[in-house]
Amino acid sequence: MNIDQVKEAWWLYVIGGLVSAFIIGGALFFAYQAYKRAKTLKMDGKVLRKTVVASMSFSILPSIGIFIGVITMAGLLGIPLPWVRLSVLGALHYELLAVKIAAEGISVTTLTIQNFVTISFVMTIAIIWGALFALFFFKKYQKSVVDKVDTTDKKGFANLLFQSVFIGLVAAFFGDAFSKIFSYRTEIIRDGAYTGDFTNNPTFVPIIVFMSAFFIMAGFDYLIQKKNMKWLENIQLSLSMVLAMTIAVLLGLGGIY
Amino acid sequence: MKTFRDKMHTYGRIFIILGIFMMFLIPFTTWFVTGIGPNFKQMLIGIGALSVLFLPGGIIEVLTYGPILGTSGTYLAFITGNLINLKVPCVMNAKEIAGTQINTEENEIVSTIAIASSTTTTIIIMVLGVLLLIPLKPILNSQVLQPAFNWVISALFGALAYKYIKGHLTLAVVPLIFVIILSVLAPNFVQSNVVIVILLSAMVTIAFARYLFIRRQKQGDV
Repeated sequence: MNIDQVKEAWWLYVIGGLVSAFIIGGALFFAYQAYKRAKTLKMDGKVLRKTVVASMSFSILPSIGIFIGVITMAGLLGIPLPWVRLSVLGALHYELLAVKIAAEGISVTTLTIQNFVTISFVMTIAIIWGALFALFFFKKYQKSVVDKVDTTDKKGFANLLFQSVFIGLVAAFFGDAFSKIFSYRTEIIRDGAYTGDFTNNPTFVPIIVFMSAFFIMAGFDYLIQKKNMKWLENIQLSLSMVLAMTIAVLLGLGGIY
Repeated sequence: MKTFRDKMHTYGRIFIILGIFMMFLIPFTTWFVTGIGPNFKQMLIGIGALSVLFLPGGIIEVLTYGPILGTSGTYLAFITGNLINLKVPCVMNAKEIAGTQINTEENEIVSTIAIASSTTTTIIIMVLGVLLLIPLKPILNSQVLQPAFNWVISALFGALAYKYIKGHLTLAVVPLIFVIILSVLAPNFVQSNVVIVILLSAMVTIAFARYLFIRRQKQGDV
């Protein structure tokens, strides 16, 4: 058995299918528990439906982005390993880093079965910490810290605290887009792994995309609030993203990357 | 009698244990079928080097996003991954639409349903992508569409930024100035340490929020 047969083996695809079924099963199980609880609490069914529609439509584009990550790594590692890694506790930048560290200097032509097994162990173990911490300490943390925070007073500091975390999060990603005007170093990926070589191509495109999405969202908000176009409510975020991404494509067609 | 939340902790912990078992299926099955194990030295070096980066990050993520994601949402999100780039923004969006308050049972329900819906969408797209890989590959790899997927995160957070800055313009000014200065002075640091930058800008926002809150208290507004 050679590496090309191993990384595309049928039994790895079976594992990919099993993992996908497990994740969907888990998600549906928790959703059903939440739905049962919502009925007990007499929550409005419309709110729950809106949550499902908004969350699903919201997740389509980022999910396509995640799948492109599978294609990025497929050259070196085949399809099943990146598929499973990005389905369970994965993130593309982390997986690429894991490939680089676990198999320094390895390319698609020099990859061995031992490299493949080593990479898959490193990818699996080194990202597990958050899940382990949640497993052992989340309940205690929730009881001793989170429950002490009173969020029912809308004017209280606790609500402002959580708003601050959200604003901090979006500000950080604004910074991420803005910083690319000054420098945008990307590590060259060859055969699905970092090569260690960098290119620097500063660009205005991400901040244009960020600001476009911001203002398009504001435009939709105006239509919803002032023109009573309530049907836009659940899809305004996804639509804003699509239109902002279209602007990036148009800039690309004009030679601006 | 066990409360709903206690039950969710139990189910969540079982789900995490099973999830970790599923994660190990590929390495162990490959080892078992081929008879070739990992290079232990390389493996330990790799795990050590990555854990230096991801162990503190993982803990910070549970502490920061756990309260936002709720009980079952946290367990579900920490096994399905893609936290910052998908699950957290998705919950933020759902919370806005449903109008729920963090750390309430209604919010737990909404965030669980949001994460479950998001997870299901991702998995379906991944499965479809794998099944349709040959016809899809040229489209997803096309030069024309590449800028769209390169900047999907900027589009996502740009749209979300409006939602969060809209009602809190004053609060947002200071963290934005902070990240602008940081981006000009150390652009590469900002890009390669997003988790740290999130933490720093959240701390700056919290400090400024505290200042505004105390000022309002003194003025008798709160």
